[in-house]
Amino acid sequence: MDSLYSVSYGISHAIAFALGSILPSGARAAIESSDVVVAFAVLIFGVIILAATMINTIMLIWWERKLLGRFMDRRAAMHVGFAGLLQNFADGFKLFRKDTVKPRDADRLGFYFGPTAYMITSLMIFGILPISSGWDTGALPLTLLLALAIFAFAPLFIFVSAWSSNNKYSLMGGMRSAAQMIAYEVPLLLAVVAVVLVAGSFDLNTIVYEQQNYWFWGPLCVALVVFVAAMLAEMERIPFDLPEAEAELVEGWNTEYGGMFFAFFMFTDYLRALVGSVLVVLLFLGGWTLPTWVPSAATSFPLAGIVWFMVKTYIVFGLFVWVRASLPRVRTDQLLRVGWNRMIPLSLLSVFLAALVVMAKCLPVFGCLPSVGT
Amino acid sequence: MSEMWINMGPQHPMTHGLWNLRVKIDGERILDVDPEMGYLHRGIEKISEDRHYNEVVTLMDRSCYVAGLNWEHLYILASEQALHISPPERAEYIRMMCAEFQRIGSHIMWYAAFVQDIGLMTPFLYGMRDRDLVLDLFQSFTGARMTYEYMRVGGVRNDLPPPFLAQARKVLDWLVPRFKEYDELCIGSDIFHKRCDNLGVLSASECVRHGVTGPMLRSAGLKRDLRKDRPYSMYRDVDFDVALADGADVTGRYLVRMEEMRQSIRILRQVLDWLEHHPGPVMADQLPRWLGAPYAPVGKEGYVLKRNYAKGVGFSSIEEPHGEAQAYVVNEGSERPYRVKFRSPVFANISAARQYLVGYRVADIPPIMGSVDPCIGEVDR
Repeated sequence: MDSLYSVSYGISHAIAFALGSILPSGARAAIESSDVVVAFAVLIFGVIILAATMINTIMLIWWERKLLGRFMDRRAAMHVGFAGLLQNFADGFKLFRKDTVKPRDADRLGFYFGPTAYMITSLMIFGILPISSGWDTGALPLTLLLALAIFAFAPLFIFVSAWSSNNKYSLMGGMRSAAQMIAYEVPLLLAVVAVVLVAGSFDLNTIVYEQQNYWFWGPLCVALVVFVAAMLAEMERIPFDLPEAEAELVEGWNTEYGGMFFAFFMFTDYLRALVGSVLVVLLFLGGWTLPTWVPSAATSFPLAGIVWFMVKTYIVFGLFVWVRASLPRVRTDQLLRVGWNRMIPLSLLSVFLAALVVMAKCLPVFGCLPSVGT
Repeated sequence: MSEMWINMGPQHPMTHGLWNLRVKIDGERILDVDPEMGYLHRGIEKISEDRHYNEVVTLMDRSCYVAGLNWEHLYILASEQALHISPPERAEYIRMMCAEFQRIGSHIMWYAAFVQDIGLMTPFLYGMRDRDLVLDLFQSFTGARMTYEYMRVGGVRNDLPPPFLAQARKVLDWLVPRFKEYDELCIGSDIFHKRCDNLGVLSASECVRHGVTGPMLRSAGLKRDLRKDRPYSMYRDVDFDVALADGADVTGRYLVRMEEMRQSIRILRQVLDWLEHHPGPVMADQLPRWLGAPYAPVGKEGYVLKRNYAKGVGFSSIEEPHGEAQAYVVNEGSERPYRVKFRSPVFANISAARQYLVGYRVADIPPIMGSVDPCIGEVDR
C-alpha cells in the first residue's frame, strides 16, 4: 500500500489470475501475461483516480453546503443519508435524469462540446496531482506547469458554450469570464513562479519535499495571498463570481443549460475549486507532510499522508467558503482594475521576495536553512 | 459587442417581482432604460368599487404583500374619513404599532433582497430569520403571516392577546443587536462601499421633479416624512427622528432604511408602553349596521341595506415603507365605495429609473434597483 500504482497493479494481478483460473489454459496464459496485467493495472489506476476525484468533489459540495449552513444560521442538507451526506448524489441523479433543452438557435456542436470539454479537461488535472508520497503517476518533471496549463483551458470552453448558447446573458457572462480568467492567470502564474524559485523545481513532489522543514506559506506569504486571490477569481467564486452573477446575468454563461450539462458545469466548478485547494496545500502548506514537532504517531498510521492531505484540502476549501459567506461581489471593471493594477505588481513583489528567500537560504547570518532533496 | 437591448424581466432575479426593465447596453455600460410595468395588474381599484368597505381591506393586503398592514392603514384612514367614522384611541395606537412593525418587516425584507443583489448570501438568511419573528408577532394577533385582514372601518378586528406585549418587547430587544450585525456585514465591508458609493445618484431636486418619495428622497438629504410633516393616526404623540442621509446614492438609501428601523423600534417602545396602560375598546360604537353585516342574511334576499347616510370623500396619505402612499375614497351613499384611487410610491420611484440608471454599468442595475425597493404588487395594483 505504498503507492497507487502498486495498489492498482495488485488488483489487476488478482483479477487476471482469478479470471485465468476459470479459463482454458491458452486463454489463461494470455490473460496472465505481464503485458495484460500492466495494461489492466493502468486502467484500474485511472478508474480509481476518477472515482476518488468524483467522490471528493461531491463531498466538497456537501462540505460547502454544511459550512454555509453554519455561517448562515441554518442547517443545510439534512435528510438524505447521515447528516445529508448523500444529498448531492440524489441531486446529481436528479439532474442526470432530466432532459437537456437546447435552445432552437443554439449552435449544436458548441452547445454540447463546451461543457463536456470543460469537465474532461478539468478531470485530467487530477491524473497528475500527487496526493501523498508515491500516490501519483510519477515520472513527470513538470507536473505543476502541466496542471496549470490544463487549468487555463477553461475560459475557452466557457466562452464556446456561452457563445453557442445564443443568449445575450450567456454571451455577457462568457465575455466576463474570459476577461477575468485571462487577467488573473498572470498573477496566478507569477505567484507560482515564486514557489518554483524557492523549491527549485516544477515537480510537485519535489516542491512538497522541499517543504519538509518549513512550509512555504511563511516565507512566501505575499505569494500565498496573491495565489489565493487569483485562485478565487479563477474558480469564479464570490467575491469574484461575476461571470455567473445571478443578480444581473441570471447565472451568466450557464443560463441556457439544464439537466446533465448543467450538472457538468456545477460539477466542474467544484472540481476546479478542489484543484485550487489542492494546489494551495501542495504549494504552500507542505502537501501531505506535517511539521516535525508533531508526534510520529500522527504520521505513521497507514495512509497517514493521504489523510492529512485531505484534511488540509478541506480546511483550505473551508476558508474559500468562509470568504463566500461573508463578502459581496465586486464589479467587472473593479475586478479587472484590481487584477492588472494591484495583483500583478504584488505578484512581482512576491517573486522578488522569493529570490530573497533563496539568497537567505545560504547567508551566514541565518545559517543555511536546511533543504532536502537535490 | 455593439449596442443592444436586453430585457431584464419579467422573469429576472433583479426585478423582485414581475416587471420588465428594458436596458440598452453597450458592452457593460447602460445607455438607456425603459421600465415596463403592468404585468401584475389585478384591477384592485376597480374591484374595490364592487365590494363593501371592509372587504376592500382584503385587497389591500395583496396590493403590497410585504407591507400589507400599511396599506390597510392607508385605505382605512381614507374610508373612515369618507364615512365620517372615528375609531377609538386604542385602535389607532394598535394600527400605528402594526404599521411600525410592518415597516420593520418590510425593511428587513428589503435588506435581505438587496444584499443578494450585490452577492451577499449570508445576510439574506439573517434577514429572513429576523423577519420571521415579526411575522410571528403578526400571526399571534391577526392569525396570518402575510395577508392579515386585520383593520376594519372604525377600529381593528380584535384586541391584542395578553402575552403579546411581552413578546413584542422581546422581539425588539432581539432586533437591536441584529441591526448592528447587518451593518457590520454591509457598511463594514470595503467591497460594499466600492459597489454602492456614488451609485444610482438621484439628487433632491430630481427626486422632487419625478415625484420620488420615501427613503430615496430622504437619502438625498431632504427632510420629508409624512409622519412628521402631516401626522396621521397618533404619530403626533410619539417621539422619533426622521432618518436622513446625504449622498443620494445606494449607500445613503441603505443608511436611511437602517436608521428608520431603529426609529421604528423607538416608536414601538413608546406605543407598547401606551397600550399596556390604556385598555379599552378597539372598535367604534354606533357603527352602521351594514358595516358589520355586509351580506343580506340567507332567506332575506329582499333585505335592503340602509342607504340614506351622509355622503363624503376621504383622502389619506401615509408614509409607507417605500414612500408616500395616498388613497382617495369617494362615498356616494351606498354600502360600497363609489371610487377608490391609490397612489403607489414605488410606481413613481421606478418610473424615474432613467434618471438614476443611465451611465452606470449592467452590474450596477441590481443594487440600484434593489435600493429602490420595488414592490410590484402596489405598482400595478
